[in-house]
Amino acid sequence: MRIGSGEGFWSPIVWAILALGVLAIGFAIWLQGRRTYKRGTEQEEPFLSGERLPEGAGVGATHLYWGFAEALKPLLMRLGAFHSGFLGDYVGWLLVLLVISILVVMLG
Amino acid sequence: MVHAPILAIAIPLLGAFALPILAKLNRRARDLWAVGIALVTLVFGLAVAGQVFASGKPLVYTLGAPSPTASVTEGGFPIRIVLVVDALGAFAGIIALLAGAIGLFYSLQYLAEEEGKTLGTSLLLLLWAGILGLVYTGDLFNFFVFLEITSIAACALIGYRVWESRPPEAAFKTMAMYTLGGLLVLISVGILYGEYDALNIAYLSKLITGTLLDKLALGLLLGGLLMKAGAVPAHMWAPDAYGEAPAMATIVLVANTQAAIYALLRVVFTLFGGALATPGIGWLIASLGTVTVLVAVLMAVVQRHLGRLVAYGAVSQLGYMLLAVGVGVVAAGKGFGEVALKGGIFHMINDLASVGLLFLVIGAIRRAVGSVDLLSLGGLGHTLRWESGFFLLGALALAGIPPLNGFASKFLIYESTFKASPILAAIAVLSSILLLAVVVRAFHGVFLGPKARDVGPAPWGMLVAMGVLAVIIVVFGLFPGFFIERMVSPAVQALLGGRAAYLAAVLGG
Repeated sequence: MRIGSGEGFWSPIVWAILALGVLAIGFAIWLQGRRTYKRGTEQEEPFLSGERLPEGAGVGATHLYWGFAEALKPLLMRLGAFHSGFLGDYVGWLLVLLVISILVVMLG
Repeated sequence: MVHAPILAIAIPLLGAFALPILAKLNRRARDLWAVGIALVTLVFGLAVAGQVFASGKPLVYTLGAPSPTASVTEGGFPIRIVLVVDALGAFAGIIALLAGAIGLFYSLQYLAEEEGKTLGTSLLLLLWAGILGLVYTGDLFNFFVFLEITSIAACALIGYRVWESRPPEAAFKTMAMYTLGGLLVLISVGILYGEYDALNIAYLSKLITGTLLDKLALGLLLGGLLMKAGAVPAHMWAPDAYGEAPAMATIVLVANTQAAIYALLRVVFTLFGGALATPGIGWLIASLGTVTVLVAVLMAVVQRHLGRLVAYGAVSQLGYMLLAVGVGVVAAGKGFGEVALKGGIFHMINDLASVGLLFLVIGAIRRAVGSVDLLSLGGLGHTLRWESGFFLLGALALAGIPPLNGFASKFLIYESTFKASPILAAIAVLSSILLLAVVVRAFHGVFLGPKARDVGPAPWGMLVAMGVLAVIIVVFGLFPGFFIERMVSPAVQALLGGRAAYLAAVLGG
């Protein structure tokens, strides 16, 4: 059940066998670890740089890729402005697309 | 089954108009009617696909005449309704059948009576009929008519929640864009009709030589269809529409957008395939596809509204399809061009399954919690267990994680695009990685974390609809070769080498 691209191939079955092998190795490594985890103790508390956290505090979804979004902020702000939500802009960009399409077809 | 092509369109169309009358008599009878219509449409649609794939030849059905060319006068080509279903049309029909049936089944328990269930179900059937007509029709004017049917039904469904502020606004914007796109298509049809005195795709394809007017018609068609396919920079209606439409409609809207990709393939390879399918057009489509992938994924990063986040993810997948179509045009006649088209066409059904599943889960979340704002969600995995599993599966498939179905089609797209342009391939791969980050964030934000509220799971009917899509994701992912060989490869052959067969099936000889 593999598919070929002319250059390579993709076989989900081969991949699944390899993935199971990797998982087995990972599990074997995990078994070598220390068994000091105790349920219901302070070990279950979230650890954030040793700070005492208020009740119910955690890492929210918006925090997850904060650095990533921060690094791309200039680009994302421009893209946000591009997606203005104004129908006039939508129509304007459709005209741009139309002109490009016609020009490309005309020039061959 | 001789009349299967027209019945697959007529039954949901007539069923949609009869449904409100039945609803006046009895609500249970209305639901049974909707299920019956869906089943009968499935039977006829699958019969059409079965006939086409089994025979390997296009299926031609002429309304009111024994053959498309039959005429009482000599010369020209009669103006009449002709349905032509080749392997590509049959494949696009299967996508539409799947989306419509699942959307309808899901809607039975998703839509509330006080929120206009009868209207929603009728519109869904109407949209379904329009899409099937769009992919089965063999002439340009009927193509325009079905395009308008889908536009009207789609916009009514997008604005379904009239008691909220955003859905009507999204519907209005989408209607404006669809109307302009439809006008471009209509002007193009008018130009070709004025030039050749014909509307039949096969007959026009035989006559088109690449005149200035032909080029103008192709440019207008490209503009209209690329907009409807959600290509940047005319994609902005899509996140509005997908984000605000009720869940059962969104999956059919995705099929509707994919019908525009089908139309793009039909126009470039069949209608203008003999004269104007130049590498320049291929590069245009491929470049727009790549920009669409990148822009949509970046916009998904900053979304707080779960529906809009997945909507941008859906737009990015349309970009992958456009990229594949573009590479297929650029490299027509070469091996990797065929691989690109296989990847792009296979990605259509994979995208429907993964994006459709995500939207159905979002519908279940909205129904349970009443909000899809990422900042107000969290910990839903404690109670919505099936939904969380389905969301994770759909998200991983959308991001192209092996061994799910999204990876199989993206693998073909990446490999073929790399041969055409390594830069475009690199952007496509990087965007997919970024999309993974986005969907992981969404999953974390909605389902993980401490339990915040008690909510009930979705009704069984909604879970079954989601389950069907989940099974497709896994099965298509584990056995891609089986489906590519039986459904995708014939569709690609219908485009590359099948133009002559398409013309011969309609025109004879």
